[in-house]
Amino acid sequence: MSQPRKSVFITLALVLMLAAVLSACSKSDTASPDTSASSGNSGSKENIKLRMTVWGSPEEVAPYKKAIQNFEAKHPSVKVELQHIAADYDTKLTTMVAGNDVPDIAMMESGTIAFPMAEQGKFYNLQEFLDTDTEISPDTLVPNITYSLEPGNVIGIGPGPESFALFYNEEIFKDAGIEPPPSNVADAWTWDEFVEVAKKLTVDTNGKTAADPDFDPKKIKQYGANISTWWGVYSNFIYSNGGDFISADGKTFGLNQPEAVEALQKISDLMNVHHVSPSPVQSKNIPATNVALQTKKVAMTVDGQWASAGLAQSKFSFNVGVMPVMKEPVTTVVCGMFSIFKSSKHPQEAWELLKALLDPEASIDMLTAGTWMPSPKDWYTDPALLAKWTENLDARPSGYKEAIVDVILTKGHQTPTGYVKNFNNIMDLVNPALDKVWLGQQTAQEAMDSIAAKVQAQIKGRRDIKE
Amino acid sequence: MRKGMFYGLLFTAPAILGFAIFTLGPMIASLVLSLTNYNVFKEQTAFTGLDNYMRLFSGEDELFYKSLGITFYFVVLRVPAVILLSFGIALLLNLNVKGRAIFRTIIYLPSIVPAVASAMIWMWLLNPDLGLINSLLSRLHLPTSNWLYGEGSVIPSVVLTTLWGIGSTVIIFLAGLSGIPRQYYEAIEVDGGGWFRKLSHVTVPMVTPTIFFNTIMTIIGSFQVFNEAYILTQGGPNNQSLFYVFYLWRTGFRDAEMGYASALAWILFVIILFFTFIVFRTSKSWVYYEGGDRA
Repeated sequence: MSQPRKSVFITLALVLMLAAVLSACSKSDTASPDTSASSGNSGSKENIKLRMTVWGSPEEVAPYKKAIQNFEAKHPSVKVELQHIAADYDTKLTTMVAGNDVPDIAMMESGTIAFPMAEQGKFYNLQEFLDTDTEISPDTLVPNITYSLEPGNVIGIGPGPESFALFYNEEIFKDAGIEPPPSNVADAWTWDEFVEVAKKLTVDTNGKTAADPDFDPKKIKQYGANISTWWGVYSNFIYSNGGDFISADGKTFGLNQPEAVEALQKISDLMNVHHVSPSPVQSKNIPATNVALQTKKVAMTVDGQWASAGLAQSKFSFNVGVMPVMKEPVTTVVCGMFSIFKSSKHPQEAWELLKALLDPEASIDMLTAGTWMPSPKDWYTDPALLAKWTENLDARPSGYKEAIVDVILTKGHQTPTGYVKNFNNIMDLVNPALDKVWLGQQTAQEAMDSIAAKVQAQIKGRRDIKE
Repeated sequence: MRKGMFYGLLFTAPAILGFAIFTLGPMIASLVLSLTNYNVFKEQTAFTGLDNYMRLFSGEDELFYKSLGITFYFVVLRVPAVILLSFGIALLLNLNVKGRAIFRTIIYLPSIVPAVASAMIWMWLLNPDLGLINSLLSRLHLPTSNWLYGEGSVIPSVVLTTLWGIGSTVIIFLAGLSGIPRQYYEAIEVDGGGWFRKLSHVTVPMVTPTIFFNTIMTIIGSFQVFNEAYILTQGGPNNQSLFYVFYLWRTGFRDAEMGYASALAWILFVIILFFTFIVFRTSKSWVYYEGGDRA
C-alpha cells in the first residue's frame, strides 16, 4: 500500500517540477526588459529591445520592415522585433494582454479592441509626445487620422489614411455615350443624377437597361453601381446628408433621425426600387472591385482609395471620380493606428519608432502601389512630394488628384469608430436591423425606429467632446 | 504488481498531466471566472457571485435566448439527419459490391478536408445566383432558395453543409455492422425471412450500442457548432445563425468579457450534460448488448 502512494508522490513531484519549469520560462521572458533597462542605466544605453505587432499582407509588412531598418540605423542601441500576426489579430492580442505578454507598440483597429483597451488605460497618451516633439504635431498630419479616447488623450496615430471615391470603368461610359463622373468636388453629381446614370448603365441579359419599362431586374448582367452595405461605405452618404450615428451632444441615437434615414433609404432604393446596385444577397456574386469593374459586372463602385492598388494590376482603363453628393461633399477617413502600450519600458524609443513608421519614405512602395496614402500633410501640399506618389503611376488615373487627394484634406470626416463610444455594441443592434432594410423588407425609418430604444440604452456619448 | 502500478502511472502520466494541465485546470479556472466580472483589459476583477448567471437568465440578454433557440433548432434538425443518413450509407457500404473500398474512401474523404476549405466550397455551391445547386434547380424548373443568405433557410442550409462531413460516423457504424455474426442472418434465411426482417430483427438491434454512441457524439458535436457560423455566415442574416458557441466566442474574444463568456460556457456544459444524461437513461430500454445484459 505504501509503494503505490509513493509513486503518486513521484507523479505529483513531476507535476510540480513541470509547473516550476514552465513558470520559470515565462518569468525569464517577462524579466528580460527589466534587466536590460537596469543595465541601460548603469552603462550606456544598450540592448534596448522593442517588440511590435502588426497585421497585413506581406506587401503591407514590407514597408514596416523598411521603416524598422531606417530606425535601427539611426538608433544603433535599439533592436526592434517585428511580430507579424496574419490572422485573428485581435484574438491573439487579447490573449497576449491576458497573459501579460504585451508588445511595446502595436497596430490597432479603432472599430474593435483599441478603445476597450484604451478605456482601461493600456496605452500612452500620445498627446504628451506630440506636445514636445519638434518634428510632428497634429497640424502636420492629415486631419482625422489621430484617434482620441477623449479630447487631449491621443491613443493612436494612423500611418496610412484612406478616403472613399467613385471608381469606374471608362470603357463602359464611352460605349454608352455617357459623361463619366466628375473628379472635381464642385462639379459632383447630385444623388438623383447618379441614380439616372446608374439606371442607364444597368443592363439585363436582353440588353434592356433599368431605364427601360420592360427591364427584367431578375436577370441583371451589368450593375450600374455598387454601394456596399458596410458602414464604411454608407457612412459617407449619412454624413453627406447631414446625418450622424449619434447626436452632436452624444446623447441620442442618430440613425433614426430624418437625415440619416433618408440616406439609408436612398441606398436601399438603389437595390430594391431602382435595381441598379446589387443587394446583399446578389453582392455575394460580385467579385472584388478591380475584377468587378474589369469584367463589366459593375460600371461604377464606391470604394476606399486602397482599391486603386488592385485596379492598377488589372490592365484596363479605370478612373476615379468624386462620390455623388446628397447635401455636402464628405468622405469618411479610415485607417489603422499605431499605439504604444503603457507597459513599455522604453516609451521614448517607441515614439521614435512610431515616427519612423509614419515616414512616407519608408512606405513609398505602398504609396506608389496605391494601397496607402501618406499621413504627413506636406506630402499633399508640396508639389515635389506630391509628385512622388501621384504621378506617372498605374494606380493614379487622371481623376485621382482631384477626387482623392484634394477631397481627403478638405472634406474628410472621422470614422464613427473614432468618436462613437460603445460603437461595437451599437452596431450589434444596428446591423441585423439594416439587413432588413437592404433586403427591402422594412423601410429605413421602421427598422431604425424598431431598435431605437434598445440602442439608446447602449449610447455612452462621444469621444470628441468633453463630458 | 507494485512495480506494475509505478510503470502504469509513469506511462499514463503524459495523458493524465495533459488532461490536468490543459483541460481540468482551465475548466476549474473558467468555473471560478464565471463568478467574476473578469474582463481581459481591466486591471481589477471583482468576485460577483452568480451575477453573470442572473444576467443571463433574467432575459436582459436577448441574444442568450436567441442563440440558445437557434442552436436547439440546429440540433433537432441535424441529429436525426446525421444518424439516419450515416446509418443508411453504412448499410450500403456494407453490401458486398465491387469497388467497396473505393466507395468507403469517397464517403470518408470529406472528413479529412479542412473545415475552412469545405466551408468555402459550400459557399460557392450555395451561392443564390451563381451557385451550382441553384443553377441545377432552376434548370429542372424547381424552386430555388437563398440558402445561407435567407433568414428562414440559413439553419437548414448549415445542416446540409455539415452532413458532408459524416464520414467518421459512417465508419463507426460500419465497424458496428461488421461485428454482427453471420449466423443470425442465416437463421432468418432458413426461416424464410427477407432483407427487411434481417434489418429489423438483427441489424438494428445489434447496432443499437453504435447508434447510442453516435447519437451522443452527434448531440455533443451539434451543440458545439462554431466553424460554420464563423466562416459561412458570421451569425447573419439578422442574427438568424447566431449559434451559441459563436456568441460565446464573440463575447469572450471580441468583447473581452471573459467572466461572462465563462458563464455562457458552463451553461452549455450543463445543457450538454443534461441531454447526454437523458439519452443514457432512455438507453436502458432500447440499447441491446449481446452479452445479454441491458445497459
